[in-house]
Amino acid sequence: MAHNFRTDVAIDWCPGCGDFGILTALTQAFTELNLDPKNLAMVSGIGCSGKTPHYVNAAGMHTLHGRGIPFATGVKLANPNLKVVLTGGDGDLLSIGAGHFVAEGRRNTGITVVLFDNQVYGLTKGQAAPTMALGMQTKSLTRPNVFGQVNPVALALASGYTFVARGFSFDTKQLKDIIKRSILHDGSSLIDVLQPCPTYNNINTMEVYRQKVYKLEDDKSWNPTINESNADHYEEIYQRAFMKALEMDKRIPTGVFFENNTIPSFPKRLNEHVKDYLTSPPALQSVGKNGKSLVDPANSFADKILQ
Amino acid sequence: MENVDLSIVIGGPQGGGIDTASNMISKAFAYSGYQVISVREFHSNIKGRHSYVHLRVKNSQVRSLRYPVDILVALDPDTIFEHHEDISKGTRVLYDADFEASELSQARMIMRDTSRRIKEMLESTGHPLNVRGVLDYMKSKGAFPIPISFGNVVSEAVSDGTPTRYFNTFGAAATLAVVGIEKNYVEKVIKSVFGNKEKVIGPNIKVVDAAYDYCARNNLRIKNLPDLEMGKKMLLTGNDGSAIGKVLGGLRFQTYYPITPASDESTILEEHEELKWIDGENTNLITGGVTVVQAEDEISAINMASGAAMTGTRSATATSGPGFSLMAEAISFAGMDEIPLVVTLYQRGGPSTGLPTRNGQSDLLFALHTGHGEFPRMVISSGDVKECIEDSARALNYAQRYQLPVIHLIDKNLANTTELVDIPDGSSIMIQDPERSDGKDAFSRFTLDTKNGISPIGYFGRDIFWLTGDEHDEKGHVTEDTWMRDRQMEKRFLKLQTAEEEIPMSDRAIVLGPSRADVTFMTWGSQKGLVLDVIDALGKKGIKANLLYLKMFEPFPAKFVSDVLKKAKTVIGVESNMTAQASKVIKMNTGIDIENQILKYNGRHVTEDEVMEASLKIIEKKQKIVVLENGA
Repeated sequence: MAHNFRTDVAIDWCPGCGDFGILTALTQAFTELNLDPKNLAMVSGIGCSGKTPHYVNAAGMHTLHGRGIPFATGVKLANPNLKVVLTGGDGDLLSIGAGHFVAEGRRNTGITVVLFDNQVYGLTKGQAAPTMALGMQTKSLTRPNVFGQVNPVALALASGYTFVARGFSFDTKQLKDIIKRSILHDGSSLIDVLQPCPTYNNINTMEVYRQKVYKLEDDKSWNPTINESNADHYEEIYQRAFMKALEMDKRIPTGVFFENNTIPSFPKRLNEHVKDYLTSPPALQSVGKNGKSLVDPANSFADKILQ
Repeated sequence: MENVDLSIVIGGPQGGGIDTASNMISKAFAYSGYQVISVREFHSNIKGRHSYVHLRVKNSQVRSLRYPVDILVALDPDTIFEHHEDISKGTRVLYDADFEASELSQARMIMRDTSRRIKEMLESTGHPLNVRGVLDYMKSKGAFPIPISFGNVVSEAVSDGTPTRYFNTFGAAATLAVVGIEKNYVEKVIKSVFGNKEKVIGPNIKVVDAAYDYCARNNLRIKNLPDLEMGKKMLLTGNDGSAIGKVLGGLRFQTYYPITPASDESTILEEHEELKWIDGENTNLITGGVTVVQAEDEISAINMASGAAMTGTRSATATSGPGFSLMAEAISFAGMDEIPLVVTLYQRGGPSTGLPTRNGQSDLLFALHTGHGEFPRMVISSGDVKECIEDSARALNYAQRYQLPVIHLIDKNLANTTELVDIPDGSSIMIQDPERSDGKDAFSRFTLDTKNGISPIGYFGRDIFWLTGDEHDEKGHVTEDTWMRDRQMEKRFLKLQTAEEEIPMSDRAIVLGPSRADVTFMTWGSQKGLVLDVIDALGKKGIKANLLYLKMFEPFPAKFVSDVLKKAKTVIGVESNMTAQASKVIKMNTGIDIENQILKYNGRHVTEDEVMEASLKIIEKKQKIVVLENGA
């Protein structure tokens, strides 16, 4: 029987929350990929998105605000055989954790970052998050937002993520397909998920998003993927992804913006330097036998010996 | 054979090869069979400012440094200015004759206040404000300035047009020639230091020859140190020791963000990432290397290590004060989620950026209280290179056994101290396995069904379980249930009680020296060796002293320490901080006050002579607090 990827933990998101659609898309993707739940690590930060691992029947780590990416990176680098999926909010990933978000692009560790993008800090009563537009005033704000807006797709492209996509929490089929592709992708992925916050974001509601979104893949000529065979088109494909990323106003594209299969993942880069890293990653090594160390200090540090 | 006890300082501009020179000197003494210890002092600067290495050589155990020096080697004028007080009767001052005319006002790399103090000294003693003036001052104290034209001598030996490149080798070789170390050892050292760089070895050996010839021609030899038997040893810093101990203790994943003086440890691990295995022990076992990752900041470094730890990997990070401050929240998480995590905390002079390249022991109370909320942790400290090896392996075992953050304190002085140590015996390093889940599906990571507080651990890739920074139930899901909260808090803290029962007292606190004494010193960290030397010196004066040496601050060996201190007569604390932090910990845990304190917080390494002098002020003159001020 297929593994049930849902736990029996009571979900305490608000009725109508976009998070439900993301959870559904995630668990459907895991089921369709037939993932071994023991080889899946769900990691999250703090906020409504942070609760997601508790609702998924796989190993889960609900960590610190903004620090999901470092935890996820540590898990993946210690055992690159694991599939690591991170769920984080816009404040979590783009404000308090923005440094890690950028660094992860440089690393390309091979984790899937699912960004719950509702433009507000829901769990702390609706403050403006980094994805909220300048001047926007949702109902819980005492004055219009005085900060400018960060564009997660453009930031991910600029940071070096090798799979960059956007989904909409009320289109679980498209989102599920994106998640599946991202999990199979070797490098790191950013999936920006537009999701209404029915309690605090009365401006960008489900209805508003429904009118604005359109799918990149509906254009049959759309090809976001770079492989060795078309690597000479890198600049053109990368630039086009950026242009699409900047479309944020009247219409909002969803789907896969960019997929670059020519950049080696961080585990592969480490394997160039650390002997047998991929076949004997840190987590799978033996460190002792019969209570004794296995390492020979004289040989391992022979350069320190005087004789 | 007479007792050999030589103190040497070699100084020059940062980036001028002082490290290499010191390495040459240490190795040559070691090859001739002598014990040698050295510490590196430097500015937070890449090129130009005054750096020096202070060495001490004995034909018996050497465990501290002392002023005044017997030989001062100056590779720049600043060294002469900076060390004018570190000489005494008979000190040989080797320097480039060209320095003599250098004016103090032109020595722009000397800190303004240091320059002012030197100026005041020269004016008050009636000497001109230049190197010649300082040399005259030194002469008046009985030192022997030895001018050598470095440029001429080196240029005669090597004609590649850049004689200054060889000044460090020349300084090192001249030092060794002056004390009568056989030249063939120095040539061996050159080959060892420059490895396979044939083009570099040739000219450097010529410079060594030139230095020896020069010293012989000018009758500069002051000693004739005979050859002693040399055992097979390792020449290691505290940074090296910690790195070696970590891999012996099973470390396979280390993260770091660049910071002085911690990042050297990670660099050393990276240089030795390909581990070698004890023959015959690796059949059928998966062996690989150690993975070192430079993170984007210390917050990331510690959280990566925590993530890796939960895959079953022995993981650690190494940092210093400012980075450790950033790690506070993650330490609290590791305590809450019972993550086996080691943080090696290299203490330097704080607060804030403080004295980034200088010594300090001012993070003890912080290490004991880092992070919000109440959670168990362990805090241990090392006092010499051998302890660094043993303790960093132990720290990994403690982390596994008790599933908590272990903070391992090493001070900057120890990190940058080079010692000759026996090659560690890998098979003597124990690997303590954690209690693991049975791998079955119904697994409760935080089960309350435990008598010692230790719930079997689960790993990503093997088990299904949850972790959360929130209070949690046995499965690891969020709970705010009052009963479960109380039980989980109690279960976590029970582990410290278990640790107290299981860990031998000799690994936590120990009395060194006679069990009954008139004076009992209390210290921790890198002062250990020098306090033992002071105890020997006091013994020669008829004062019987011993040392209460602290190694574990959490869980604190309160009863042991209390028993020792209640029996003690005069107690003297020795620490490299201003507020006597270890004494505060003792007071907190035992209620006992330590009134007499020898404290140093100027960032420079503590020396035997100044602690001896301070001890006598306390013992004989009943002074309570003595602040040490040695050091350039």
